[in-house]
This record gives sequence, structure tokens and C-alpha cells, in this order.
Amino acid sequence: MSQLTRRELLKSAAVLGAAAATGPALGGTARAQTTQKRELVVAQGGDISTFDPHISTSSNDIRVSFNVFDNLTSRHADGKLYPGLATEWNLQEQTTWVFKIRQGVKWHTGEPFAAADAKWSLERTYDPAHKTRVNTVFTSIDRIEAPDPATLIIHTKKPDPLLPARLAFYGGQIVSKKYFDQVGADGFRAKPVGTGPVKFVSWTKDDRLVLEANADYWGGKPDFDRMILRAVPEMAPRVAALLKGEVDIITQLPPDQGERVNANASTRVAGALYAGLYVLAVNSKVKPLDNPLVKHALSLAIDRELIVKELWRGRGIVPSGPIAKGDNHFDASLPPLPYDPKEARERLKKAGYKNEEIFIETTSGYTANDKPMSEAIQAMWRDAGINCKVEVLEYSVRAQKNREKSFKGLWWSDPTSTLGDPDGMMWRLLGPGGPQDYWRHARWDELGNAARFSVDEKFRAQAYKEMTAIALEHFPWIPVIQPYEDYGLQKHVEWTPNPNQAFEIRKFNFRFRRA
Amino acid sequence: MRPFLQFLGTRLLRALVAVWLVSTVVFGVMRLSGDPVPLLLPPDAPRSEYARVAAELGLDRPLPVQYVIFLGNTLRGDFGRSLHFRAPAMEVVAGYLPATLELGLTSFAIAVIVAVPVGLLSAVKRNSLLDQSAMAVALVGQSAPTFFLGILFILLFSLKAGWLPTSGRGTLAHLVLPALTLGAFAMASIARLTRSAVLEVLRQDYVRTARAKGLAEWLVVAKHTLKNAAVPIVTITGLQFGGLLGGAVVTETVFAWPGIGRLAIQSIYSRDYPIVQAVVFLSALLFIVINLAVDVVYGLLDPRIRPR
Repeated sequence: MSQLTRRELLKSAAVLGAAAATGPALGGTARAQTTQKRELVVAQGGDISTFDPHISTSSNDIRVSFNVFDNLTSRHADGKLYPGLATEWNLQEQTTWVFKIRQGVKWHTGEPFAAADAKWSLERTYDPAHKTRVNTVFTSIDRIEAPDPATLIIHTKKPDPLLPARLAFYGGQIVSKKYFDQVGADGFRAKPVGTGPVKFVSWTKDDRLVLEANADYWGGKPDFDRMILRAVPEMAPRVAALLKGEVDIITQLPPDQGERVNANASTRVAGALYAGLYVLAVNSKVKPLDNPLVKHALSLAIDRELIVKELWRGRGIVPSGPIAKGDNHFDASLPPLPYDPKEARERLKKAGYKNEEIFIETTSGYTANDKPMSEAIQAMWRDAGINCKVEVLEYSVRAQKNREKSFKGLWWSDPTSTLGDPDGMMWRLLGPGGPQDYWRHARWDELGNAARFSVDEKFRAQAYKEMTAIALEHFPWIPVIQPYEDYGLQKHVEWTPNPNQAFEIRKFNFRFRRA
Repeated sequence: MRPFLQFLGTRLLRALVAVWLVSTVVFGVMRLSGDPVPLLLPPDAPRSEYARVAAELGLDRPLPVQYVIFLGNTLRGDFGRSLHFRAPAMEVVAGYLPATLELGLTSFAIAVIVAVPVGLLSAVKRNSLLDQSAMAVALVGQSAPTFFLGILFILLFSLKAGWLPTSGRGTLAHLVLPALTLGAFAMASIARLTRSAVLEVLRQDYVRTARAKGLAEWLVVAKHTLKNAAVPIVTITGLQFGGLLGGAVVTETVFAWPGIGRLAIQSIYSRDYPIVQAVVFLSALLFIVINLAVDVVYGLLDPRIRPR
């Protein structure tokens, strides 16, 4: 989730009163649901920080970089991988991937794009001289060859079944070697050049970024002449800008604003089930959380249905385990995590729980509904006889605790499934040495490692099934909800959001409804 | 002239000490309250990556060493490079300054132009309907939080009435709501204070004398009252201008106005020390210059205050 959702929910509550007082906006005057606009205006919660796609992974930045630049592969809203700058790819040996590079593609400068650019760009992500922030994305790569402009060969250190998936997300945006050498790092940051559907025009920091449609785009010119990205940090003015028709799309729409947007004649909500989960991560090293029975009780005592219904206005689903719905190897046969306070009490008794304090360290508004959910869960746990204390952290303190691995009990985490696969989510975070490494289980580790380096999907499916069962016995995460990522749209906009926040705007998925 | 220079000299010296103290406090608080490095890295970055970035930013050195480097650089006018923008901090802040000045000066002008006449009229027509309604509005303006007022204005004037844009910077129309929001508090305070200052003066003997010798009421007010009531009005006006800088943080955030207030709040959240230090330095400097200006204006208004 973006850092800029923080504070917003709290404030939205304060503003709702005012909104209610003024009644539904634009009361009933139905507007045309078509447009003659040639300009797409998008408002997001924060401005971009840089145009160099290898310097940032924040959601505000990737909404731009995934459109100015292309990746070799592309994950569409349906969660599947499609060709990008590579038209096809296949595994030649266990550790050799061969990519056929799209021909006739031009950089925004008009120079031709070739396989050597892709080689340089991927190598750049882990070249210490470039000090990128994505140097851990392609650690499986051993070396890259570009024998001719149409072929790219990637050798991995061990078999890497997820390489094409890695190439589709951050770090995988392809930048031009020639242009970068010409203008240097600062020049590149000031005026980026990619192969994507939009070209850079101008940027006024914290105000607006102006992009123009790339008429020569290999995927076709998108359905607008210009795209303007505005930074509107507060949720209420962002929603107001949409309702008034000043902008066409707003991002990060909180669940409690959906009704307003849908009630307005000219706007609607479009959501995608988040490619990830909201979980309470657990420090299983501290007492009494080192006892799986206590964690069973914690999970059983959460009424997730109620949380989805009341706090999320139904904009979410109850998870069944640590793998997000929509990911590879998600087990559709598993039931949603159950609510059974009576059984929770039983397990606590069996565990010999002596009313020890259990901490939830929450941020306030950093992820949607974090504090309200903590308070609701605290009350549910109290009813089941669990002594829970909620402490509120400032975001940078949370980031520090995350790095030092010093959380006292439970804390909110909203892992994104970067690869559409459990390897890119539960293993990335909970695996040995990962940022949420507070629990080890020999069999789980063995399976996770084997699955990571196996190109046999049948074996991987079996491994993740067993890992899920172990995780539901030990609860290194207590999954709480898989929410929808909601956007507010004008009804004259036809577009389907991507579950992983990539905000892809292309000819194939975006259209203005014209009269 | 000499006493005046001496007065100015002491003032400047005090100002320098104030700026140094403010910078030191900001330096300490920013570093004690959080670490910027984890915010710059993906959550799963390994430990070695953390160390590399910390070293790259000079944050791996002991705090006293960092402080000495910081002081030395500040003296040379170098506030370091922004961790977030990767550009010289003062340059970044200077880029945001015009927007804040535009907003701040407009709010200030509106506040003074509206508040002084309203306060004056309220005093002269004391307990009239005009006085009572003006003071009621002022009470609301003074007590409503900026955030609430801003959102209310957007809902009423942009969304309901459709007169003005909801947010952003660009045309004159974009300036109206944020300037009113930001100016509301100052406007209310100045109006209320003008009223009480004028009332105070109207009770003085020399006003009675002026009236007694048959001067027209408007002359009594314009010539004898206003100038004598000016000292407290100038004081509060100066203070309110400083207050506008603080109010800009909220107003700019609500209205997506690209100024230094919003930059400051974002930089605090991302622990971008150099930017925060540059903003605080600049704001402290501005505040001090305004105070100095107020002191000088005092002397002009009231010979008794002039340094001898």
C-alpha cells in the first residue's frame, strides 16, 4: 500500500459529518456519461519521487514508471503474464531462459530498442555503481547474453521458475543504455525516456506531471492525447475532485467513500481484489506467542466476517490461509478461516494461558483500517479471555522496528504478492533471513527452498499445500482480510484496475466512452 | 543613528542564536524519532543493503560527528542533499517557496484588508447588528480548525455551488479557497483585536477632547484613534504572519498546494532530514525578519519606543 493512505481514514471520519451535512454532491443532476475529452486526469495520494524506475518501489512511483517504461513481460489485470518487450520466452535448460525480443520498438527519442538495452537495464539493477533500490530483485541471475538484437538469454544460478514473473514487476522496467550514457543519472531523472505508451512532457513537483500519448507505441496509441497525474494528498479533496468532474480517476479510495462515489450520477467505483493479504504478523519468539495453541485461539477469536462487513463495507473477503486468492497454488478447496470463540477458550485453557499481555503494534491510517481493525480485534479477544494491548506507532518507527525485527507481539503487514506466487509473498517475507523471520520450522523451510528452485509446477503445488497446512498450525501470520483495491472513476472511463497496484494504462485496457 | 544600529545589531545576534537553537533541536528531534533508511528501501532489503545506504547518506557515523558536519555545512549555506529528491535541499525548498509566498501573501493581504476595517467599524458601531454578526463570524473563524474549514469550503463552494476548483494550483480561481482558509484565523484575530484596541482608545481623554472641540467623528477616528490603536494591531499582525507559515502546513495539504508547508510535512514523514532542516531554517529566518520589521514599525508609530 502507498505510504500516503496514512491519516486519511481518521480524517475521513471527521469529514463525513460535513459531507453528510451538505448532502449528496451535485444532488441528482445526472451528467452525460460520455465525453469528448482527449486528456486523462488522474489524482493519486502523493507525488512521484523520481522517474528512475530502479530507484523506487513506492506505489506512487510505479504508477508512472509502468507506463513510461515497458517490461519484458507484463502482468495484466487478470493476473496472468503476457508479452511485453519480449514476445515469447521459454526454458531451454534448467537454468537457461531464452527471450525473443520484440522488433521495431522505438525509444521515445526515436532510437531503436534492442536486446542489448534489456541486458544493460537488468544488469544495472544489481550493479553497485548505480546504487539502485531494486538490487535484490534479480539475485537469481548469473549472467545475461544478447547475441543479437532479437535474442536475450538469461542464465540463472539455480533453476528459477519465476524469472518471467520477476521481470514483470519493479526492477524489470527497461531503460535505454544509450540515452542514460548521454544524459547521465541527473539528466535521466529530469527527463526520462522509455518505450512505454506515454512520454514525459513536464513535471511541477507536488502539483502535476504531464505526459503525452506515444503515437508510435507498439501496443497502439492509448485513447487520449495527454495524461495528467495530480498529487492530492488528502482523501476528502481527492473524492471532491472526482465528484466535481475535475479528474477522471482517483486512486486509494477508502471503503467508507464508495457509497458516495457510486451514489453520484457521473461516477463509479472500480476495484480489484488486492494481490496480497492484510495479516497480523506474529513474533513467535516471545511468550506466550511461541505456543501454537495460543495462536490458534487468537485466530479463532477474530470475527472476520464482521470486520469485512462493518469496517470494510463488504469490500474484501475472508482469507483461507497465507496464500492470496488469485495467486499460483492458491487452494480453493480450503474454507475461510473460522470464527469460534468457544473453541478459542478451549485452546487457551489447553495452552495454559495465564492472561499474559499480548501486544498489537498498529499504525494509524498507514494501511487502510489498521487502527479500527486493531481495536475491533482487541475487543473480540477480550471476549474470548485474551488480554490484548494496542499500541500505536508512527510510521517511521514501524519501519525501524521492521528492520530491527523488534516487534513485541503482533503488527499489521499488508504484503503484496509481487510475483503472483507464494514465493513472492509468504516465502519472501517469512523465509529464513526475510524481514518477518520470527519463526522457523525445519520442514517448512525445506519445502520453501525446494519450491523456489524447482521448475516442476506439480511439485511446487504439493510443497505449497503442505506449507499452508504447517502455517495454519503455527500461524507465523494471522491472515485477517484480503480487501479490494478501490479506485473512483468517471463513468465515461472504461478501465480495469490491476490487483498489484501497477496501474497499467494501455490501449487494450483503457477507453474513454465517447458520445 | 548609532543607537538604532546597536538595537539592530543586538536583534540580529539574538536572531542568530535563535536560528542555531532551532536548527539544533530539529537536528536532534529528527534523528531521535526515526530512521530514514528503512523508508527508502523495499521491506525485504537485506542487512547489508541497509548498511550500504546508511553509509552512502553519511548516517552510519556517530551522532556528534554528524552534528559537527551539519553545523559546518550550514554555516557555509549547504543544507545537504535531500534523501528523497536526491538534489541539494535548499534548491528543492527554494523551488517550493514561490507557491507558499503566493498563498501566504494573498491570505495576509485579504486578512488585513478585511479585518482592520471590520474591527474598526465594529468598535465605532459597538453593539450594533454589524458588530455582533462580525464578531460571531470572527469567533467561528478563530475556533474552527483549518482542516475542517478547508474541507467545508471545498464542499460548499466547489462541490455544492460549483464556483471554484477543489484543489491544485494554477489560475486565480485556484487561489481563492486556500487563501480564505489560511487567512481565516488571522482575519478573525486581527478583527477582534482591532475592535478592542480601538474601543480602548475611544475611551481616552484626548478623544473626548477631540470630540469636544467639534471635530467630525470620522476625523476623530481616522486621525486620533487609529494611529494610537496601531501598535497592538501591528503586533498581532506580525505574529499572525508567522502563524500563516504554520497554517500553511495544513492548508497546503488539504488543497494539494505545492508549497513548503506540504513539503515539510512529507519530509518529516519520510525523515528527509536535510529538507526539514532547510525548511525550518528558512521559516525561522522569515519569522525573525518579520519580528524585526514589527519592531522597526513600532518605532515609526510611537516615538516613545524609539531607541535613544
